[in-house]
Amino acid sequence: MTDDRDKLISEVVEKALQGDMDAINNIEDRVIRSKAKAALHKAKKAAKAVESSASDANEDKTETSPKAEQTIHQKMAILIEEKESGSVISQEGEEEACIYIKPESWESLAPILRNDDAMDFDSLQCITGMDMGEGILESRYNFHSMKLRHAIEIRIAVPMEKPDIYSIEQIWRIGDWFEREVYDMYGIIFTGHRNLKRMLLPDDWEGWPLRKDYETPQSYHGITVPKVKEEWE
Amino acid sequence: MGVLEHKFQDNIVVEKLDKLLGWARSTSPWYFQFGLACCAIEMMATAASRHDLERIGMMPRSSPRQADIMIVAGTVTMKMALRVKKLYEQMADPKYVIAMGSCATSGGPYWQHGYHVLKGVDLVVPVDVYVPGCPPRPEALIEGLLKLQEKIQKGRPLTKIDS
Repeated sequence: MTDDRDKLISEVVEKALQGDMDAINNIEDRVIRSKAKAALHKAKKAAKAVESSASDANEDKTETSPKAEQTIHQKMAILIEEKESGSVISQEGEEEACIYIKPESWESLAPILRNDDAMDFDSLQCITGMDMGEGILESRYNFHSMKLRHAIEIRIAVPMEKPDIYSIEQIWRIGDWFEREVYDMYGIIFTGHRNLKRMLLPDDWEGWPLRKDYETPQSYHGITVPKVKEEWE
Repeated sequence: MGVLEHKFQDNIVVEKLDKLLGWARSTSPWYFQFGLACCAIEMMATAASRHDLERIGMMPRSSPRQADIMIVAGTVTMKMALRVKKLYEQMADPKYVIAMGSCATSGGPYWQHGYHVLKGVDLVVPVDVYVPGCPPRPEALIEGLLKLQEKIQKGRPLTKIDS
């Protein structure tokens, strides 16, 4: 009895797969009809899985090409070196992936990052300032390409005595406030910025508070800032 | 026998002018509506319908000229300290200040390391009531406001005080 039913189901499923749904719909027994439909669904799913795994295998083949083994930073470092030779210092940070750029070549390099077809970084996500100690200040840029869906980090290190970095404010407009904030906290001068003034702190504030050698002032406009807290408590 | 003795009918209340002024000032102290940080959320909640500050005759005013109380609700940065002082100076007498939350009373979590935070708003304006908490619940703020009302009621604006 069950053998007959299984045989019937497999027959109608085969017919349905070839496009003949009437074979299933014409079964009078409700239980058998629903079982047949379930079997059809299963069969279709299995067929799909086979197809997709086959296409996955194809994709795997393309990914194993030698070019794709490079990280995005290595790829971009080679591209940048092609456009502006001698601008890349190194393409690896101590822990995170990044590209170190010479500050002198940033002016000519920034428009290339923005406009080149292979890079096309249309979105500047963040600028981070860093005091690396030993008189080195760093400005770190996180770029992302909406079109090509890749992202890199560019770092520029400058000495504290002359912390000049070319401003990218007119290339990525969002950089306006980013650069002002980095200037506010670290005193990195972004040359060419059209409105480089303090952003969060008051205009008459002295010093760069996030530098490691910053000393909290004793007073501001006659308001005392207690340094030794014990006397106050 | 004084001049005024037994001259008034019993529908007239006889009381000290001092006390009358205290009563009048304490029952409708309008507060200045400006929040600086997260405490402002609690201040808004206090003014909203669940706690309803209008029960005790208080309503927010958006101008310092119309306000009697300044509730300093939140972290006062150095940049803001000068502005808080200026706003306080613009308020008309009599004026009172409530320092709400630990930032306004002492700098709070920025006491030790915040280079940019004023260590207590009492460094720039005189404070009448401190409300502790981070941030204080609306009940705590109402308690502080009732304490301030008590203080205003006890104040004797006309009496000469020997110092």
